[in-house]
Amino acid sequence: MSGKKIAVFLLIAIVAVFAACRKDAPENPIDVPSPVPGSPVVFNLDSVPYATLSHYNFFAGNIAAQLPVTGVLPYEPITPLFTDYAHKFRFVWMPAGTKAVYESDSTVLDFPDGAVLIKTFYYDNVQPAGDRRLIETRLLYKKAGYWKFADYVWNADMTEAVLDLNGSFTQLTWTDALGVPHDENYRIPSEVECYTCHKYYDQPIPIGPKPQNLNSMMAYADGPMNQLAKWEAAGYLQSGYPANIETVAKWDDPNETLERRVRSYLDMNCSHCHATGRHCDYRPMRFAWSETTDPVNLGICVPPEDPIDAGQTYIVAAGNASRSMMYYRISSTAEAVRMPLMGRTVRHEEAISLIGEWINALPDTCQ
Amino acid sequence: MKRSLLLFATSFIAWQTQAQNTCATAVAVSINSYYISAINGTDVPTPTCSTGGSNASAGEWYSYTATFDTVIRVTTDLPQNGGVDTRVQIYTGTCADRVCYAGDDDSGTGYTSQVDFYVTSGTTYYIAFDDNWTSAGFTFKVMYAPPPPPPPGGFVAQYVPVTSYANCIVDMNGDGLDDAVSVDDTQININYQNADGTLTNTLYSTTYADNAPYWSMCAGDLDGNGYNDLVYAGGGLTFMMANDNGTGYTEVSQPEYIFCQRSNLVDINNDGLLDAFSCHDVAPNVYYINNGDGTWTWHQGGLGDTPDGGNYGSIWVDYDNDGLSDMFIAKCRGAGSSASVDQLWHNNGDGTFTDVAPTMDLADFQQSWSSAWGDFDNDGDMDVMIGASSFTGGGHKLMRNDGTTFTNVTPGSGYDLFNGTSIEFVAQDFNNDGYIDVLGGGALMLNNGDMTFTQTLIPANNGPIGDMNNDGFLDIQNGNTLWMNEGNDNNWINVLPVGVTSNRNAIGARIEVTSALGTQIRDIRSGDGFRYMSTLTAHFGLGTDDAVSEVTIKWPDGLVEHILDPAINTTIKPVQGQSSTGVAELPAATFSVFPSPAVDKLHLRSTMDLSESNVTITDLSGKSVLRPALLNNAVDVSTLSPGLYLVKVQGTAANFTSKFAKQ
Repeated sequence: MSGKKIAVFLLIAIVAVFAACRKDAPENPIDVPSPVPGSPVVFNLDSVPYATLSHYNFFAGNIAAQLPVTGVLPYEPITPLFTDYAHKFRFVWMPAGTKAVYESDSTVLDFPDGAVLIKTFYYDNVQPAGDRRLIETRLLYKKAGYWKFADYVWNADMTEAVLDLNGSFTQLTWTDALGVPHDENYRIPSEVECYTCHKYYDQPIPIGPKPQNLNSMMAYADGPMNQLAKWEAAGYLQSGYPANIETVAKWDDPNETLERRVRSYLDMNCSHCHATGRHCDYRPMRFAWSETTDPVNLGICVPPEDPIDAGQTYIVAAGNASRSMMYYRISSTAEAVRMPLMGRTVRHEEAISLIGEWINALPDTCQ
Repeated sequence: MKRSLLLFATSFIAWQTQAQNTCATAVAVSINSYYISAINGTDVPTPTCSTGGSNASAGEWYSYTATFDTVIRVTTDLPQNGGVDTRVQIYTGTCADRVCYAGDDDSGTGYTSQVDFYVTSGTTYYIAFDDNWTSAGFTFKVMYAPPPPPPPGGFVAQYVPVTSYANCIVDMNGDGLDDAVSVDDTQININYQNADGTLTNTLYSTTYADNAPYWSMCAGDLDGNGYNDLVYAGGGLTFMMANDNGTGYTEVSQPEYIFCQRSNLVDINNDGLLDAFSCHDVAPNVYYINNGDGTWTWHQGGLGDTPDGGNYGSIWVDYDNDGLSDMFIAKCRGAGSSASVDQLWHNNGDGTFTDVAPTMDLADFQQSWSSAWGDFDNDGDMDVMIGASSFTGGGHKLMRNDGTTFTNVTPGSGYDLFNGTSIEFVAQDFNNDGYIDVLGGGALMLNNGDMTFTQTLIPANNGPIGDMNNDGFLDIQNGNTLWMNEGNDNNWINVLPVGVTSNRNAIGARIEVTSALGTQIRDIRSGDGFRYMSTLTAHFGLGTDDAVSEVTIKWPDGLVEHILDPAINTTIKPVQGQSSTGVAELPAATFSVFPSPAVDKLHLRSTMDLSESNVTITDLSGKSVLRPALLNNAVDVSTLSPGLYLVKVQGTAANFTSKFAKQ
């Protein structure tokens, strides 16, 4: 999209937002709208999660267009989680007068009660019509110091999304830029599947909104701006956070080094399990960006503890991708072998190439 | 002259390169070295007899015909090969019908291969290198294996056709012989074992299973029709129900999402019907109670309630010899997480269970996905080797059952020095010496008979275990390779009990075999180790003992039967209550009822046969309010008003009374 097109798109978005502000009133008189001037979001911690997504009034007009109302701020991690090539809209909203606080470059911002993280998963070029299909909108919100899950599944005509934490599948076929069709059996997670990745010991947590992932420029309605600066300006981030933030690389940026791209990919796709207090705490890998400067944490020349097949001699066999358990598992789609275990059912070809290239370029220090 | 020599040389190399490209044109080799310029032959060496998976797309073929019996070594572990990555398969049979004989991936230095194999005079062995890792060229050497040759015996590979999940060995057609079962989303592939040890492969189509058994699989006769049904544990449970002649399967999938780990079949409420249990990775464990009419009732809670799960390896075992199946859970989540503390759920006999791991010294932070339970010292109670999946929270733990607690006897046992890790640890007697061994962590740990173990490397990894040629030695399946246990001179006896009032598979039964070396015990289990389903036949090695004085069967419903002087080196199949050579023994009378409070049905449980009893329900003053019919050890109390009642049972052998609440 050219800069001009973005500007036009954003202008439309702004118009839509204001249009929505004028006409929309809270649907339920029990729920007091946020007192943020101009933010029509409906969010009462005592009565969420609502039965429908539209009830929150996060979006102006046709909610399928995902045009945020005032106070609902889009954001984008520098390297995103891969979820079967699904696209995502991400937004954050907080109650008036509350803001998140910086803790460290590599930890999730300390959000206030009532904060909501909103993430919509969708595909473009969905067959037969070749149009956009919204699948689900996930919410993470903080109540009395604890994060809670909600998930809204979109109906077929995309007029509404309904609360459902039981998990389900959605079948669709989408075509890529080359016109190649891809069959997708998309898994909408149940609550315990959300929890599997989003947890620290036994408490639910967000994963993405860390300073290291947000310290980048983003195009907003009123122009491009650093995301952290934007959050600060919007009143969503307390001032005084460090100026120099150890920031991840963009995983598909060819101008970055292979190692930084791989470390960033592993951080976003793997470190929610492979870290202390997470689902796979007990395995030796530590894939967080802040920990992968140590080659041992990356599994380089470290034998796997769960040898699926004797052929994979090391987690990362330096110089030899095909002998590496990491490469084997990211290449697999078998449910009990693939990594990540959840959120991926197809191969992420570009990432497999990247990680294969990185491993094969490592000097062979294992033998 | 020079030119024609070169031409000749070129054409010779071309001919040679071409010639070794297929099995049919394999180049005969002798004791010598040979150079392969690149692996590019069109005949892909399949089946795969080595480790390393099946990514080969090309091969190079040689043949060796033995002129006398010896041991031959094929090796690429040669200085001139540098760091080459090779893999070799050794076949017997014909090119059209190749039989795995040996194979190796990485036994040499680095990623080089080295394999020793017995050869018999006059037999041709095909030596095939593949490009599983690289097509780069190398030199290989054929030589006599230096002395001492590997000991005879051990495990020999046999090819078996399978589909995706080759995770089950169990008797599927009720002939008492183990069959190898593999499944995928739409098929069940059964290698039926014939009486002569050959296998007959049969494929059944199924509906597209809601859950594939990618986490675990178990089997048992859920509907008691004589044919075992299969349970697939993935993102929930799917039952594949065998029809009444075992020639087709009907899917029954449960709707609830479960992050399944180990699944088991066991009669949880002791009503004679098998129920299905599954570990939940991220939530309290779940089970489905079999209503006996094709319907199932979902339960979550009471059998491992850690909110964030950490439940990996459930195993049903009677640790306190009270006749009821208890459950141990090997747990894992990280050294600092309470979700990784192992639990031992004592069966209270009334449908409730209590975690006694803290008092039994089994509440351990060690990171484990499975545990191997067996009476390793043959002293009459079940001991356990809790295998570490990671040493993060501590090493392997060998715990001796001392009745009131378990005692850590790891130091000096061999497990203190064993540094292999695994998600699979399974207890079985593989060498038939009368002492239970443990397979797991990349090694077979042979029990020395005194609760110390000797590490033995075998070619097989953990997989389904059963006797696939009815020779009395347990074989192991790894994908399309059956590792056939070549056995030794030790004697053995197999016991395959057939339940009548208990579930047909007698899952939960305790089997005791007494011979000169002592009394050995086994529990019949469906779901052992982490992922696989292994035989439901109780296997006992007897060492050099040439007689068994007595086999005792303690059925899950309390009946105890004895079989005196059974034949050995065979499988006996005692039918509950019909042991022609046996004598029934009435155990001490016990009586209990559950659940309380009861809603519709009140179940009666006793070590006595209650089937001919009269049941009266009275109020607390003794006034009769109901005389319900007794059906399957249960009575219908749905018409009672809420309150407290007494149930009185007048039987032919004894009378019982118990209090219960009606909801």
